[in-house]
Amino acid sequence: MTDQSGYAKPLPTVTPEDWEFWAAARQHRFVLPKCRACGHVWFPPYASCPSCLSFDRGWTEASGQGTVWGFTIMRQPYIPSFESELPYNVVLVELEEGPMVYSNLIGIDNDDIACGLPVKAVFEDATNEISLIKFRPA
Amino acid sequence: MSDREFAGKTAIVGIGSSDFARLYRTPDPERTGEALATEAIAAAIADAGLEKSQIDGLITGGLPHYEPVAYRTGLTDVRFVVDYPQAGRMCAMALMHAATAVHHGLADYVVLFNSVVFRSQGTTFGAQPQGLLYDTIYGMASPGAQYSLGFTRYQAEYGGTEEQLGAIPVAIRSHARMTPGAIMQAEMTIDDYLDARYIAQPLRLFDYCLVNDGAVAYVVTTAERARDLAHPPVLIAGTAGRANFREWYVDLGFWDEACRSMKADLFDPLGVTTDDIDCLQVYDNFSVSVLWGLEGFGFAPRGQGLEWVQGGRIALDGELPVNTSGGMLSESYLQGWNQHAEAVRQLRGQAGDRQIPDCDWSLYWCLSALPGATLLCRGGLL
Repeated sequence: MTDQSGYAKPLPTVTPEDWEFWAAARQHRFVLPKCRACGHVWFPPYASCPSCLSFDRGWTEASGQGTVWGFTIMRQPYIPSFESELPYNVVLVELEEGPMVYSNLIGIDNDDIACGLPVKAVFEDATNEISLIKFRPA
Repeated sequence: MSDREFAGKTAIVGIGSSDFARLYRTPDPERTGEALATEAIAAAIADAGLEKSQIDGLITGGLPHYEPVAYRTGLTDVRFVVDYPQAGRMCAMALMHAATAVHHGLADYVVLFNSVVFRSQGTTFGAQPQGLLYDTIYGMASPGAQYSLGFTRYQAEYGGTEEQLGAIPVAIRSHARMTPGAIMQAEMTIDDYLDARYIAQPLRLFDYCLVNDGAVAYVVTTAERARDLAHPPVLIAGTAGRANFREWYVDLGFWDEACRSMKADLFDPLGVTTDDIDCLQVYDNFSVSVLWGLEGFGFAPRGQGLEWVQGGRIALDGELPVNTSGGMLSESYLQGWNQHAEAVRQLRGQAGDRQIPDCDWSLYWCLSALPGATLLCRGGLL
């Protein structure tokens, strides 16, 4: 897929299971799958509820609030398109709603990242179809 | 399986390994995954003192397909075949399968192996196409980065320094230096460890295991049949598993619950305690796996593992030797299979200069998405 944005980093492969999540993200809305049968909230957006196995999937707006569970500072060019960003952070964020998500933390020096840091989701437009959810200190 | 009735009823009676160091120095295009497996199988059958015609069970691991090895070894008419996919976590699972198969008479003598050609294939264990949780789009790449992320959390909860963590790879390297066939033979001090580059900070080069080619095979049979074979039998006291599938890889409790569950399965039916364990031969994909297992299995108090491993405690002459042939950090990345081979040598009393005096019990664990553990003991103890 070519895109005028020139975005060179890996992009998600949008599937029948998760297209609604990415469509919402493109509108700068952070939604999570929520089971209409049992109320469970999960991520990533599997088509069915991992708790009660119902396929009656709805969506709920996430608050975008979370805390940094852990982080790493990538120091080697495993992914060529990320090489110019080295060293860059990857964080595992525990969302207020429960699910865990990987992301990058922006607006902070890598040296200042700490576990337990409260963070807030922001959207970064990558292409015409995809906006990535990133986080900044809350 | 871990019940009292099963404990000690099966045994590892043969082991065979590639010469990891030679393959590392001089890559050999003729040593394909199938060829390496064949070599290890032949060595394991010979070590057991068996004839190939007696092998009637085959568990393959690490290869794209199970049939090619059957043709190359002539193990074409066996009664029991299982194929495990390429994954580091499968050793305890395959051993569990072999033991239950011979215990229940599905086969008399099972050969099982793992064969890998990571180095000659240029495997980097880097980014996945997408990752289970869209991790690759954020630049997350490699299992090591996942364990690194876990270690920042561990440090936030319990403290501890990178220098303290270095005691684990340094001790394990000292064991590789006493092991013929181990890949990493150079001396490594704590300064060498700290001077090495970061891969995914806070983990450095020597927190990561090797990437190499090789194969390891075992022969498993019942303890009763084992009595007539070439070497003192090494008994399978128990095997345990406890899946821990998380899309984000590192367990949020550093696998404490999985370790406790497997420990209870292995130790409780036998009344074994941590004090009984003479050595650990564990899955050291990354140094932190050793740390978390030491705490989870109760060798070190929770949160104090980094302090606990200081002062040579896990070195060969220490209180609890760990990975006495150099593990995956320094001997060979055969994914737990070289560790069990070393356990067998120690429990037979055949570890040469590395022999632990009166070695009766050896414990294995692998902390991954599919944790497994094995308790082995010297013949006659069960």
